[in-house]
Amino acid sequence: MNRDEAKSILLLYRHGTADAADPQIIEALALAERDQELKDWLVIHCAREFVVRQKFRQITPPAGLKEQIISEQAASERAVPIWNRKIGWVPVAALLLLSGLLASLWLANRGHGEDTLAVFQTQMAGVALRGYGMDVTTNDPVAIRVYLAQNGAPSDFVLPAALKQVALAGCAIEGWRDAKVTMICFRTSNAAPEATSDLWLFVVDRSSVKKTSVGSVPRLAKVNRLMTATWVQGDKLYFLGTAGDVQAIQHYL
Amino acid sequence: MAEGMDFESLVACYYEPLYQFAFSLTRDEADACDLVQQAFCIWANKGHQLRDTTKVKTWLFTTLHREFLSVCRRRTRFPHVELDHAADELPVVSPPAVNRLDTEQVLAALGRLDEVYQAPVALFYLQDCSYNEIAAILEVPLGTVKSRLARGLGRLHQLLTGEKIEMPKPKYL
Repeated sequence: MNRDEAKSILLLYRHGTADAADPQIIEALALAERDQELKDWLVIHCAREFVVRQKFRQITPPAGLKEQIISEQAASERAVPIWNRKIGWVPVAALLLLSGLLASLWLANRGHGEDTLAVFQTQMAGVALRGYGMDVTTNDPVAIRVYLAQNGAPSDFVLPAALKQVALAGCAIEGWRDAKVTMICFRTSNAAPEATSDLWLFVVDRSSVKKTSVGSVPRLAKVNRLMTATWVQGDKLYFLGTAGDVQAIQHYL
Repeated sequence: MAEGMDFESLVACYYEPLYQFAFSLTRDEADACDLVQQAFCIWANKGHQLRDTTKVKTWLFTTLHREFLSVCRRRTRFPHVELDHAADELPVVSPPAVNRLDTEQVLAALGRLDEVYQAPVALFYLQDCSYNEIAAILEVPLGTVKSRLARGLGRLHQLLTGEKIEMPKPKYL
């Protein structure tokens, strides 16, 4: 083993860890004991590696992440139908046997799954936050409506006056149960340079979302990390979201 | 659920190192949060299938890494231009200046590595994972991990210090 080979091996050496038990590292360390230049390099290298490792470990999760994970999981469990929960076979079987009538009703309705507004909001916010691809990238509102109409997604939506002033970035079609959801992507003046869009409007047929207690007045709520507004107009349900606070979303309503 | 550990305890135990790993890969807070959340969500649904409860940490890191690769593939379908070209103009940091590096600079250098080197290098620094653990998390053979680490660390070393270390043929890796 020469000095260069030893250096390349010692790049993988983390002082104070089990790495020192690796046969190749043992051999390289032994060479460093005999080779003063290599030894000097190793001292500097270890100090440098310590600093770099510290920098990695200074990465700090945003406040509230742990609580958010736990609360969203709890909400998700509440949203899971009881027949999908891991509660064991015996009670489920007994329940089904004793509740024939209820089971029949359940079977008649299970295809609808959990179609509530809360689930819809969570799912669409997830689309916006977890990455999406725009089917059409354009700032032409007519082109967007034509594309949506051609593909069977809601295209006869009505935009609030303030939202009409925001630059369009494009659109996509998402799925919600058996319905198609129009996703309009906007790029506001506050958008980060690398962001393709930072404000999203989802439009879906009102009838496809159950338990929609909202009316024509937008209801504001934090969903995941988005500030959102939800309202109904005509036969459509509108769900608008962006990062920011209440003022940020109200600016577009 | 891992024996003796409920979901909240599991999150409390692993969300921070998972986030550090995710942020090292994405260098974006929202993306990193999503990856961590997704990893725990998958755990909530499938974690009970894990028979060896000592492998929870590896399972979570593997799941997060798979999700990261999945997101990368989706984004490749709809590519958008990042500021990668600017990274090529990052100044080389002289060896004495390493102590003054900040996390952002280190992660920027990590981001300049070829993608296959980024995850092993991040795990190398973050978790004190053994080479075997890194291999298990990334689902690649041990020799591949060592080879990628040697090249990734060599390149990172060069980016941070300007010193190039000649990489011999990896006969010993």
